Amino acid sequence: MDIPFTRKPRPDTGLYNAKLGVWLFLASEVMLFGGLFSSYIFLRVGADYHWPVHELNVTLGFVNTLVLILSSVTVVMAWANLKMRKIGAYKVCMWITVASAGVFMVNKSFEYKAKFEHYGVKLKDGTILTGHLPEGGYRIEFGDVNKLTLNSKTGDPTYFLEYTKSENPKFKTAAGTEVELTKSAWKELAAEAIKAKQNSVVLTSVAPLTFAVKESATFTHTDSTLTFRDGTTIEGKLINDALTLQVDKVDVRASDDPKKSLAWTYLGTEWQHAFDAHQEHAKEKYKSFDAKDARYLRHVMQMEIHHSTVAEHNEAHPGAGHAAETHAPAEGNHKADGHSSHYPEATIARKDIAFWSNFTPKWNTYYGIYFILTGLHGLHVVAGALVLAYFLLFDTKLLREDPDHLANRIEVGGLFWHFVDLVWIFLFPLLYLL
Amino acid sequence: MEQSHDDLQKHVKKYVKIGIILGVFTIITVGLSYIELPTHGLNIIVGMIVATFKAALVALIFMHLNHEASMIYKILLFTTVFVMGLFVLFYLAHGDGLVFTQFDGYPGTPYGGAPH
Repeated sequence: MDIPFTRKPRPDTGLYNAKLGVWLFLASEVMLFGGLFSSYIFLRVGADYHWPVHELNVTLGFVNTLVLILSSVTVVMAWANLKMRKIGAYKVCMWITVASAGVFMVNKSFEYKAKFEHYGVKLKDGTILTGHLPEGGYRIEFGDVNKLTLNSKTGDPTYFLEYTKSENPKFKTAAGTEVELTKSAWKELAAEAIKAKQNSVVLTSVAPLTFAVKESATFTHTDSTLTFRDGTTIEGKLINDALTLQVDKVDVRASDDPKKSLAWTYLGTEWQHAFDAHQEHAKEKYKSFDAKDARYLRHVMQMEIHHSTVAEHNEAHPGAGHAAETHAPAEGNHKADGHSSHYPEATIARKDIAFWSNFTPKWNTYYGIYFILTGLHGLHVVAGALVLAYFLLFDTKLLREDPDHLANRIEVGGLFWHFVDLVWIFLFPLLYLL
Repeated sequence: MEQSHDDLQKHVKKYVKIGIILGVFTIITVGLSYIELPTHGLNIIVGMIVATFKAALVALIFMHLNHEASMIYKILLFTTVFVMGLFVLFYLAHGDGLVFTQFDGYPGTPYGGAPH
């Protein structure tokens, strides 16, 4: 079948068909992104927290903006070159466009990964510490475990035994037989229990066990019991329930008296002095601002700790009035092994934590709309690049026999590509800068 | 739209120029965001004006909207009207205009004050 008006415009619309089609599609795309931008306004206006500004990696966003602009230029040049029958230049331009999409997505993945690995801890008084978890993450330590109650249907020893410190622990069943909880042994035990219409299987440990359980693997716990997500409850004694965080930012905006806030307390003396100095410095710099101005609070009531920041940097501000003995180097108190040695390590008691999560939609609505908007935009980048790559790689016959038809295809694919760039032009300032 | 070889050659030069302008305005956008204007709202407005300017360049030059068939403008007119509608929706919610109650605002939130 011959599709009409693929090259010449249709007299009544004045357009070749594909172009009319893509513009109708783009009109609906505008509505799709318009709805999400509208949601952004709603979320920002209704936010009951300080909306993040410059919290994403601005450099990465900036580079990605340039990459998209470059690809927008090259895709329209590819079209013009094809029209002029400069086939070599057309191909080069197309390759640059598709490669740019790749670079954009790789950068995006770095950005997402950084967010997934970055945590915020909101303390009970509303002040916030953010940073990274040390190797292994948040572990609840539980000792003197003798009794285990497994759900006959959902219990899974391979799931929870991973968190014991003892190797190949042995257990006794109610009947007194000694078992090792291998997969097959448990299968038998569970089958027996189900046959006897028992919902659970109680086991006693031969030697007391110690667990260090990943927080996310637990369902709930008290001082004497802990329930795993597979329904298994262990009885023993809670040894330690605290989150260790390598702090990279302190936010005491929620506190009227920062020096009494929990975040402040967890900083430790030397970093408290560093924060003091930082505040003095920021107060001086932003003294023209109202003390309730969101931007004043952002600069004065927050301190970022960078890789190279050391607690003693307050020496640069002798006016802040600290005694010389507070200027101990930051490394002194930390293990000298890792790259993280510059970050203060806070061990935060569970009772002080109101909420904690990594920077995903769970943390706040800003990250909700950030991931939705950039995620959907990223899908558009991938889709656009696939279409353009298809034209480049598989439309070779059309290139030989009907280059004008191919040029129209490139124009239509290019229109979509420009639209993707256009969306990013608004996304970049709204999410990264303002 | 059929165009001659010379026209296209000129276009290519124009595309590169526009690309450079877009890059420069990106730098300006980033720079402006670090300058504290009297209110942050002003920062947002200025940022959006620059972004709109950039978007207009992309739409007019790269997407050829400076010389297109009238059909496309007719389609886009509808979209524009509805999208503008989406962007003023929040104001209705903010003032609760439908039942004419006054929004008192919550102290401590960025939008604490009552609307005008």
